[in-house]
Amino acid sequence: MSGTVLTRTALGAVGVALGLYGAWLTLSRQTTAQIVSTVQYLVGGVVLNDVLIAAAALVVGVLVTRGLPAVVRAPVVVGAVVLGSTTLLAVPVLLSYGRKPDNLTLLDRDFVGGWWVFAGVVVACVAVAVVVRVRRGAGGSEPA
Amino acid sequence: MTSTLPTQLPGPTPEHFTSRLRSPAVAARVGLWLGLSFGVCFLTGLLSHYAQNTSQPIPFPTSPSWGYRVTQGLHVITGTAAVPLLLVKLWTVYPRLFERPPSLRVRQLLVTGLERVSILALVASSIFMLVSGLTNTASWYVWHFGFRAAHYGVAWVAIGSLLVHIAVKLPVIREALLGDVDDTHSHDRATAVDQGVMSRRALLRTTWLASGTAVVLTAGATVPWLRTVSVFGIRSGDGPQGIPVNRTARAAGLGDDELGDSWRLTVTNGDQSVSLSRADLAGMTQRTETLPIACVEGWSANGDWTGVRMSDVLALVGADPESDVTVSSIQQNGPYYTVNTLQKNFTGDDRTLLALRLNGKELDPDHGYPCRLIAPNRPGVLQTKWLGSIEVQA
Repeated sequence: MSGTVLTRTALGAVGVALGLYGAWLTLSRQTTAQIVSTVQYLVGGVVLNDVLIAAAALVVGVLVTRGLPAVVRAPVVVGAVVLGSTTLLAVPVLLSYGRKPDNLTLLDRDFVGGWWVFAGVVVACVAVAVVVRVRRGAGGSEPA
Repeated sequence: MTSTLPTQLPGPTPEHFTSRLRSPAVAARVGLWLGLSFGVCFLTGLLSHYAQNTSQPIPFPTSPSWGYRVTQGLHVITGTAAVPLLLVKLWTVYPRLFERPPSLRVRQLLVTGLERVSILALVASSIFMLVSGLTNTASWYVWHFGFRAAHYGVAWVAIGSLLVHIAVKLPVIREALLGDVDDTHSHDRATAVDQGVMSRRALLRTTWLASGTAVVLTAGATVPWLRTVSVFGIRSGDGPQGIPVNRTARAAGLGDDELGDSWRLTVTNGDQSVSLSRADLAGMTQRTETLPIACVEGWSANGDWTGVRMSDVLALVGADPESDVTVSSIQQNGPYYTVNTLQKNFTGDDRTLLALRLNGKELDPDHGYPCRLIAPNRPGVLQTKWLGSIEVQA
């Protein structure tokens, strides 16, 4: 057991040291305005997840469990996790605010069109999974 | 009395969350892969940061020429893959946000408080890293912090708080990973008994699927054979002469006046100096090298570059082929990297060229016409375009 305590103590101490080094880097290499912006984004990210995304997940959970028949639920949740998480990480390209009129090689795809195609594929996969589950005899012991 | 007070505070408590999917058994398994992603992201990020440092006590290697292409591609790919992992991880542990300290004794409050602070640092820095990284790859500079300084500094906070988190949770992590994923007795909350819509194994498979899908949908910017399916890739790979562009000649404020016949490259070594026209450079021995342009933003592409060896040009001013040199672009008021240092192991490498041509044709102005630097295993941001001067450092 003492080996574990030693490992945990060492890990924790190294972690604290690296974290403080990072805080010092962040504070010492930026102007006050840049530090304020950094803190805004650090806090904003936590609010984004702990309030908005968490609440959205709760709402989706309630809608799925109260509003959908049992046989449909698991495929819909799989589809929602895949489509929801990839859509979230694609927000910068979907909005494409980084496009520049003089540079046609940057963000040079129809991202929104691509999203619709991808969303269509996800919906089709969910539909196929639902049909398969219904044919197998609904809500078997091991959901897909 | 004091020891029961915390549970009487209003608001949700962990017991309100009843899904058995929100379990340490799931969190530990997703966390393992999330931790590995962060580890790869951190190490490849350190490498990229070091490659851009002017002073390198240990010289950044010139080989393999595709090294930076792979490590920086991996950096962006693992960061992207981490998004679904982080979302699911945070979802599984969400009830803990509403936990109350077990008692109001000072020592207990202190221990709980410190752990809470480390978790806050971990969550905030993790989200910050992924959001700043993803917006930066899409050239969406929506924030006002210095990207390089903040993304680098906060990375250390993320990895440090991750180590603290692992240290605190090590016994739970070990038992969860060694035990059965469906075990509900060891660490689950007593109220987490709802079957939910799927099994824990199914939730894990869903998470891997989402993570893998995220990679496939974006990695085409650096993995050519994924281009057609990467509908969220920041670059299709198209561009003048088959290579994408980050900064155009127009954006750099350069037109025919600057890039025409009056253009000269000044090469200086102490009091020796030569001024070379494009015709002078074209008259020297030409070499062709296949080298990648690999951007910090994670996109990359291979090109056949033709031009003069850096060492041949340095010989004109009597400089050692292996000399630290200052490379400057002619663009005015450019970003910090328009004047940068090329270390001596790069100048001495035969593959380092002052390129005049790309893929068999004269360089496009957007690729740095009349002349640009191209060196093996070097971040794209330091492959200086529209060269103006090369100065051997004293």
